[in-house]
Parts: sequence; structure tokens; C-alpha cells
Amino acid sequence: MSFFRITLHRSAIGLPKRTRGVLAALGLHRRSQVVFHPVSAQFAGMIMKVKELVRVEEVDRAMTKRELYESRRPDPGFYVERPSRNRVAGVVGSGPGAGAGSGAIGSSGSGEGEEIRL
Amino acid sequence: MFGPFRITNALSGGLLWKIPWRLSPTQKARQRKRLRAVDKVIETLSNALAKKGETLKSLERWKAEMPTEAQMLPKDKYTMFDRKAKRYRKGIHKLPKWTRVSQRVNPPGF
Repeated sequence: MSFFRITLHRSAIGLPKRTRGVLAALGLHRRSQVVFHPVSAQFAGMIMKVKELVRVEEVDRAMTKRELYESRRPDPGFYVERPSRNRVAGVVGSGPGAGAGSGAIGSSGSGEGEEIRL
Repeated sequence: MFGPFRITNALSGGLLWKIPWRLSPTQKARQRKRLRAVDKVIETLSNALAKKGETLKSLERWKAEMPTEAQMLPKDKYTMFDRKAKRYRKGIHKLPKWTRVSQRVNPPGF
């Protein structure tokens, strides 16, 4: 099943109520907003009414709101070579045996301490 | 001659609009870009519906009646028919909301 990926590119300020109504029916309320609708004559007709205002692509599946958000997230500029959990385990393993004697909770606590000290 | 109370067209005549009679080259370039954007939407819709085997009356009508950006004459891209204007043409930028409405065809012979 394919979908229309519809982006509101131009604002409908000052356009007729009918036009704004079509946009509202498509679920478009602000510029650059993206909505997905299944490919059908009904939705194609709605897009025809606002063809000057939107950008349309045909895609294979609809993205969720969360996926759209993630796709827009900028590159953080760094990456984690090794998650800190592994490093804590390594420190505990190489450290004194007292942590192991006091139980799992104690060992994890000492691991956290090491982490903060470093 | 100088100073705050000098006589200019706008001050002496009241309302004076300074809307150029023709589009600038950059306005024309953007107009072509908008025309192509609409063409692209039409193409996407018609391809998607053709794959599903559906038809849409408004889409068929648009494709039958409206020229694409490449098929249009410069005259139709940047000017439009006006029965009151000299030589029956005025700049397309005189059309209200001209960047967000489609105005592609004109009366035959004009």
C-alpha cells in the first residue's frame, strides 16, 4: 500500500475558506507540516484543490510522528565508542574482590563511584 | 526642493502606487519554479493513481486543458488577459494572490 507524503509548503493565509477547509481536512495546520494519506482518488482530489500550496511525494509506507521527528533530528556531532555500562563492568572486574563479596548492589554502587571519580 | 515638505508625486497627488508594470528576471524565475512545482504535483498524482488503476476527473481535465511549464509561451507565463488594459495584457503580478493561484490559459487570440 502506498501513501502520499504531503508537505504544506505555502501558507493559506488570505485564501478562500474552501481552500483552508481542504487543508484542515488533510490535517495540515502549519507550514512544513507533513501528513501521510493512502493513495486514492479521494485524497488525490483533495490534493488537486491545494496543489499550489503543497509538495507531494508517493512513498511506500506512512511514517509515524516519532519517526518523522527522528528523521529531522540533527547530527549530534559525537558518538559513544563504548557504552558506559560496559566500562563500569570492566572496572569492577579488575578492581578488588570486596565489591563481589558485598553482593550485586554493592558492586554496582562501587562501579558508579569509579565512574564519577574518573 | 529639499527638506521634509518637498513636493513629490506621492505627497502632492495622494495615493501613488509604485507597482512595476512587468516582472523582474528573478520574479520570472521564481514564477517558472512555482509552475514546475505544480506540474510535479500533477505528475506525482497521476502516476500514483495510474498504478492503482484509478482515475480522477479533475486531474484528467487539468492534463487535457492545461499546458505544462515547458509548453507555455513566455507571454502566458508572465502576463495575463485583461479587457481593460492596452493591448489586452497586464502583468500576472496584478492578479491577487498570484503566487498561490494557477493562471495558465488565456482567451484564444489574445
